[in-house]
Formats: sequence, structure tokens, C-alpha cells
Amino acid sequence: MKYIDPKNFRLKDHIDWKAQAENMKEIAGIVGELVKETDWKDVAAAAGKDAKGLKKRITHEVNLLKNMSPEEVKDLVLNGEKQLGKLYANGKMATVRREWRGIKDTGVDFYEWTRMWGMLLATFSKDLVPALMGATHYRWMISYFCCHSFMDKNTMGLRGRALKMHHELIYAIFRYVAENLVLLMKADEKVGNSTDLSKKIVLFDEMTMSQIMAGFPDLIGIPYQLMPVFLLSEIDQLACMPYIDAIESYGLPSDTCPVPSSECGAVVVDALPHMGACFISSSMPCDGSVMASSYTSRRFKDLPTYHLAFPVRYEDESIMDAAVKDIKGCIKFIEDNTGAKWNWDAYFAAMKRFNEETKYELQKWEINQTPYPQLIGPCYELFRKWNYEMDGGLDPRIISTFKKVDKLMLKAYENKDEAWRGKMKYRAIVWSIPAHYYANFSNWAANCWGVDILVEMESLNFTKPLETEDKEEALKDLSRLYERMVMRRHTNGGYDHVVTELWRQCEAWNVDFVLMYQHVSCKNMATVQGLFEDQARERGIKLLWCSHDLMDPRTVSRKDMRSEFNEFMRTVMKAEPVDPSLLDFEDDTTW
Amino acid sequence: MQDLKHLIKFENLLDDAANDLVKEAQAEGQYAIGYTCYHMPEVLLNVDNCFSTRMRAPRTGSIDISTYYMSNYTCEFARALLERGIEGGYEYLDGVAGVDACSAMNRCYEHLEVLECNKKPHFFVTHTDVPYKVEDYNVDQVATQMRLRLLDVMHEKLGIDVSDEAIRKAVEEHNELCRVVTEIGNFRKLENPPITGYEFHVISLVSYCCPTAKILPLLKETLEEIKTRKPDPKPWFRARVAIVGSEVDDLDLTRLLEEAGAMVVADRYCYGSFPGREEIRLNDDEDIVKQIARHYMMTSECPRYMAEEKIKQRRDTADRLAKEYGADGIIFEQMKYCDFWAFERPLASHILTEEYGWPTLSIDRSYNVHNSGQLRTRFQAFVEALEIKRIRRNAQEQEVVG
Repeated sequence: MKYIDPKNFRLKDHIDWKAQAENMKEIAGIVGELVKETDWKDVAAAAGKDAKGLKKRITHEVNLLKNMSPEEVKDLVLNGEKQLGKLYANGKMATVRREWRGIKDTGVDFYEWTRMWGMLLATFSKDLVPALMGATHYRWMISYFCCHSFMDKNTMGLRGRALKMHHELIYAIFRYVAENLVLLMKADEKVGNSTDLSKKIVLFDEMTMSQIMAGFPDLIGIPYQLMPVFLLSEIDQLACMPYIDAIESYGLPSDTCPVPSSECGAVVVDALPHMGACFISSSMPCDGSVMASSYTSRRFKDLPTYHLAFPVRYEDESIMDAAVKDIKGCIKFIEDNTGAKWNWDAYFAAMKRFNEETKYELQKWEINQTPYPQLIGPCYELFRKWNYEMDGGLDPRIISTFKKVDKLMLKAYENKDEAWRGKMKYRAIVWSIPAHYYANFSNWAANCWGVDILVEMESLNFTKPLETEDKEEALKDLSRLYERMVMRRHTNGGYDHVVTELWRQCEAWNVDFVLMYQHVSCKNMATVQGLFEDQARERGIKLLWCSHDLMDPRTVSRKDMRSEFNEFMRTVMKAEPVDPSLLDFEDDTTW
Repeated sequence: MQDLKHLIKFENLLDDAANDLVKEAQAEGQYAIGYTCYHMPEVLLNVDNCFSTRMRAPRTGSIDISTYYMSNYTCEFARALLERGIEGGYEYLDGVAGVDACSAMNRCYEHLEVLECNKKPHFFVTHTDVPYKVEDYNVDQVATQMRLRLLDVMHEKLGIDVSDEAIRKAVEEHNELCRVVTEIGNFRKLENPPITGYEFHVISLVSYCCPTAKILPLLKETLEEIKTRKPDPKPWFRARVAIVGSEVDDLDLTRLLEEAGAMVVADRYCYGSFPGREEIRLNDDEDIVKQIARHYMMTSECPRYMAEEKIKQRRDTADRLAKEYGADGIIFEQMKYCDFWAFERPLASHILTEEYGWPTLSIDRSYNVHNSGQLRTRFQAFVEALEIKRIRRNAQEQEVVG
């Protein structure tokens, strides 16, 4: 059977056309007001300024070309440009143009760009009307129009096999997102209102792993807030600010993590689709996530909710019994609310796949620990997290992605390729709550300073093969897996899991320094900052503290983050930038 | 009203975690076990030769060193305790019974261990897992944890008798304490109570911070005194309030409220009188630790319990207490930087106002409020609002009668 079953896309919609017309009327009113309120003289002046800027930029680039030696021109034509900072323009949402990567790699990049558009159009065509209607109901849908910019910025500076591998990985993620967006809009009461599809959908808290759905092959598990909140913020960092403002106006203190705050804010401003047979809320990964579920269940009182809540002291096997009973309770809850039956064969088949994927993952780690790391950077990190949490072996198509990437990676290792050609100087590990995607940070660090971010904390999770024969043992392994989900594996169950673990990983990956993300609202990580400092000093390990506030750039902007990094590289590492044009630029409003 | 005979003694006992009664008991060979949370059954710490002592950091000043370790935007209670621990304030303890309920407090316990804040050779810190729901298997989970991670450790490290008989004896004494404190608290239901909210807060706290056997006689004497105490003819307060929310062991908060004219008639903190002073009813059929675990889980009002029935219980309890104790309004408070209460407070205070019909004041506060002008203003405004509501209500009633 094809994944996702094509029949699901063909289930009948029950669109309330009268309500849609009302909505369109409201939007037309808003647009009318916008047109009326706009100062068109200002618009004309801004367009004139843009035209001047464009002219200036073209003149600058032509002059650069004129001043190049024939060798430099040849290098530019074959290997691409080296000053990436000039792609950014102050106050602009998009980069001024696409990156020139040299003839061959620009060709590859363009092919992948086209392939991505093709996939997106084909996926949305499966049921286009609800998806288009959804864009008029939910402003977050509009942010997905800039998904190509997200792809571009996360592959910036990449060449050769590294570029191909990153495209493969991000393609798989985008396909998942596109399919789920279509399903969300199709099933949402406000839009497609497909009741038959809605009955098949089990909603999950966004940080809850999907592996349990492997036992329900006829159902569809969707991380509820992933598309309207979490992934959205990674594509467009400014998109969640209205949610945060809404919930803070409601009374939530501003010191809480923006992830659960945004989720609650999305509830308050009614940005979550209303659908599904039931909702699996969870206590994972942290205190804030526990509490956000009370807001969701209050908003959707008709949505039966199960609280999947695993023990915190997860290495204590004496409480395994409670964890297994919770999983069983969850399975029964899904059965009761959907009429579906748990299927062990389907579960074991998916987990065998997941185990194979884990083997491929371990191979990546092995190569990245050598002096010639190959698959590093934001696309890889995002794929790792997505595969571990959201895909979880359910989608059979992902194995082929792993295989293709593995082949490319081994070839690149044989040839001693550099992930960022000619730019790799330092080895670093990322610890604590990462901000790669918001700030395109590990990619920027590689392009600007030649820093290889070899691996990050959130990737280093459970790698034990899951049981695929004994049913009771399988449930225990599933519990162990869930207990060690992204973030939770490190932040729960004692400081040893996050502090001592870092020193072990520093040794294994042979790093020059640790990029220590300091998420200013994460209380869990904040409570060990002194221990990190003390113990790093004792061991002679350098820590680069970089503050950020995930999807709220008003607290710490990307520019401020880069400044902290620049200072560390200059003063502690005594380094010189690889690309000085990236040291200081404005991208506060850039996707 | 005439001052209570033991009030100053009680206040003095609350001035220091290692108070005179604690020292006296230790001099007699008893072991002090510190704890901070209602998820840790107090009664299990009072078994045999041990006694529980609620960890506080009274008169907290600077918390700079703990802020270095735990940053400046984490729970001030956890930081104040760590600071006190680093200063040597918990060197008297023989053990800490910790629960992994919230990350800040769990890290506080861990720092006490890592930074070696207590040098006693038998000193221990336990970490027990706490569930998020109250299903049967969760009760088993807590019972198992209490056996393995607490009672067994107490037996191994201190040689404590943790038999069922010893536990039953501790429960009996605990229940007697609960009866006395509850009876004292019930006087607050009267229209003109012979006890103030501040006095009750002192009594409730002192019952947690001293060995039960040593404080019980003084509390019994105080109960008898209150029974015959004559209140002033005209009540001193302008409004009656129930206070609901997170951990409060700071007497200044109640003092500040009463200075603003509000009598605290019911207090539903993390633990104190509700929950905390309900008697534990035991049967002879079921495992005793399991029964105790269930009692604490059922009575807990912790927002960490995320299941719908517990969320509703918390709102219903606030409503019930406010009604039973004749409150005019509810104050919903939270310790600053506490994630659990940070999310609970806006939603619950909104619901208490909109659906339960209670005038509600929603505040966040420091661990030690000292003499906060900001809070004082908010309390005064709330009291005035309650007074105005009462005057309008009375006027409407008179119109109807007229």
C-alpha cells in the first residue's frame, strides 16, 4: 500500500460554501481597508529606493567582476561566489538573488529547486481547494509560501555531494509537511470539513513521537501544533510573535518558553484547525509542555484527550511497569475513539525500518567523528530530529532517502570532501536548546568562520535497536524510546544526562569548543549553567555561550547572536573570518 | 484581641530552618529529613527515629551564588534554598527527601549534592519519580518509589525501622496533628474569627518545621486558648479572601495582605492546611505505603497533574474553600518563574472569575515579598473593589426589601 494511502486524499469534503463566502467577504473588506489606508506616495518612494538599490548592487557586482583576475573569474564560474553577505539587503524579506554556486552546482541546485516545486504542486493538487481556502483562514499558511527561502538559506555555501545530500534530506521533510498540510486543511471543520478523514486522524502534542501510530496503519497521526506553530517558526521566525503577544496579554508571564507559550497563544487566537478523532497530549519534554495541554483541551472540549506521561527518572527500571501501562492505556484510548485495532505486524514492520534507519544514522556519526566529517549542517540536524520524532519509520519512502544519502556520504568520505568546500577550520558541538533554523546558525558559522558543527545535543538520542518480536519487550522498548525523546533524553532524569554527557561527547567528537546555546526562557537548562562553567574550566573545554529565545527574536535578535559568536571567535579562538562579508549584516525581517 | 501565648515562640521557631526544637530532637538522637514538596509524603519522614523538616530559607537576602549556578530567571524558592545550603544552612540535615517534580527544585537537590553542602557521612539525597496522573498504576509507581528510593535508603543509611507498625504509629501522630491544626483553622469560618490569617499561617508553618512530637503539645495548648479567646467586637478586616496557588512559606505575604485590610480565611498553597492537614485513613487490607501514596496523590492540588479530573479538582477546591470559609474573593498567586503555576494561574483565575463568579486577583510574587509596594497597592485595590461590591450588593438587597 502506498504511504500515505491515496484514498485519504480522495475522501469527500463537506465545505460550507456560505461560510467560505462570508470569510472571503471579510478578507475583501480587510484588503479594501489596506488599500484605502496605504500611502501610495510612500509606496512609490520605496519602490524608487529599491530600484536605486538594485542599480547600485548591480554596479557593485559588475565592478567586482571587472577587478577580478582571469583565474578569479574562472574560479567564480566553476566554484561559485565566496562573499555571501552581499545576498542580504537591509529590511528585505528575501535575499536579493539566489546564490551562484558555480555552473555544475547551480545546475544541481536549480534542478532540486524545480523538483521541490513539482512535488509541492503535485501534493497540493491532491485536494487543492481546501488548501487554498485554508490560506484565507489561517495566516500561518501564508508563511509556507516562503518554504523555498528556508531551503535556500539552509543550503547556502554548499557544493558538490554535500549540496546533493542536503537537498535529499530537506525534500523528504517538505514532502511530509506538504502532505500533512493538505490533510489538515481537508479535515478541518472550518475548511474542507471532511468528516470521514477527521475520524481517521489522531492528533498528537507536537513534541510527542509518532512511533505508536505504526500499530495503526489505517489511521493518520498528525502532530497538532507542528505546522501552525513549531515548524512555521523555523521557516519564518517572525510568525509566532502574534501568538506570544496574545497569550501574554491573557496573563501568561513572559519568562516562559516561547514554544508552549506560542502553542497556547495559537489556541487563544484560534489558529489551530479543529478536527480529529482524539488528541494525545503529553508531558514531554518539559514543565512548560505539560501545562500547555490544559489550554488545548479547554479550547477543544469535544476532542477526547489522553495524557501520555512517562516517568521522569527514566533510568529507574522499577517504574517501567507504569510506563508500559501508560502506553497500553494510550493504545486502548486510540482503539476506543477510532474503532481501529492495534496491529502488531504493522508495528514490527515499521520498527524494523526504524532500526535500519538508526543504523544509517550511527554510520553518519562514525564518519563525522573522523577528521573528515561529511554530513553536517542544519538540513541534516532537522532531518535527524524529524526522522526520530515525526517519521519514526512509518514512511517506507524514507529508507530510500537514507540509502541515497549514505552512498553519497561514503563516496564523499573516500574523496575526503569538505562539507563546506575550502572553509572548514574548527570542530564544534552544539549543546542545549539549538537555534539553528531560526538563525540559520550552524550554516552561517561554517560559511563565516569555518566552524564545523559536527553534531548537536538533540540528535544524540536513543539508538538501541527496538524489539521487533517479543510483544511485552517491544512495549518496554517503545517506552524507553519515548522517555528518551528529543530534549527529554538530556533534560530529564538528573543533571548527569546533560552535564556529564557533554564531556563524554566532547571527547568522542574531538571538538575545539562547544557552542552552548543559552535559551533565555529554558529554565531546565538554566539551572545547570554554573555546573557547566565550573566543570568546563576544570577540563579546559571552551564554551561559547550564545543567547537566543527561539521563535521570539525580539528578546535576542539573530544579529546579536552572531555578535556573540564573532566576539568569541576573535578573542578566544584568535580566528580570522573565512567570509568577512557575513560578519555583520541585517536580516531581522529576512525569512 | 489578646496575643496568643505561644505566638512569639512560634515566630522565633520560623526564623531559622534549624530551630530550637529541631536541635533539641537531634540532641536526643533523632534524624532530621528535609523536604520541600507535597509530592513527598511528610508522614513517611516521621517514621521511627526520624522527623520531617520543611526546608525554608527565611530572611533570604542576596542569592548571588545560587544565581550563578541556576541563572536569574529560575524559581526563587529553589535558588534561595540552594543559597542557604551553600551558606551552610542545611548542615544540620541528615538527609533530603527529594522528588523529581519540577526541574528547578530537582536541580536544587542535585546542587546540594554536587557542591557538597552537607558533610555528614550518612547524609543522603534521594530522588523519587512523580507521575503526572492518578491512575492505579501511578499509585503503584509512587508506592514502589517510596519503598525503594526513600524507606530503604532511610533504613540503610540511618538504621530506621520502616516496618508497617512504625509507619502506622507515624500516621497516628500525624493525624492527631492534622486534627488540631484543622480545628484551629476552622475558627476562620466564623463571621468574627478569634484568630487572624497571619496567626494561622504561623501555626500551620510551625507544624511543618518542627518535630511533630515536640510541637504538638504547644499546638494543643494554643487550640484551647483560641476556644476561649474573645475577638474584638468589630472585625478588624475589610474583606475576607481565600488565597490559592503555589508554595508560600513567607509570613510577610500574609502580613502584607492583612495590612491592606484582607483577612485570609482559607489558604490553598502547594501544601499547608489545604492540602496537608487532612487525616490519613488507613485500612488493614492494602499495602500501607500504597494507601499513603494514594492519599497524597488524591489530595494534591499540584498543577503538574495534567489530567482533566485533577484540573477540575483544583478549580472546584478553590471554589469550595472560598464558599466554606465565607470569602469575598480569591487571590490566585504564583511564585515568580514557576512554569507550572505560570500556565495554571492565567487560565484558572480567568475561569474562577468567568465561570465560578469569584472576584479574583491574579499575581506573581517573589519568594520573599519583603515589603513590596507594588503588591501592597494591588492588595489595597482588590480590597477596595471587594468592599465596593459588598456595598452595592447590600444596597440592592435593601432596595428589594424596601
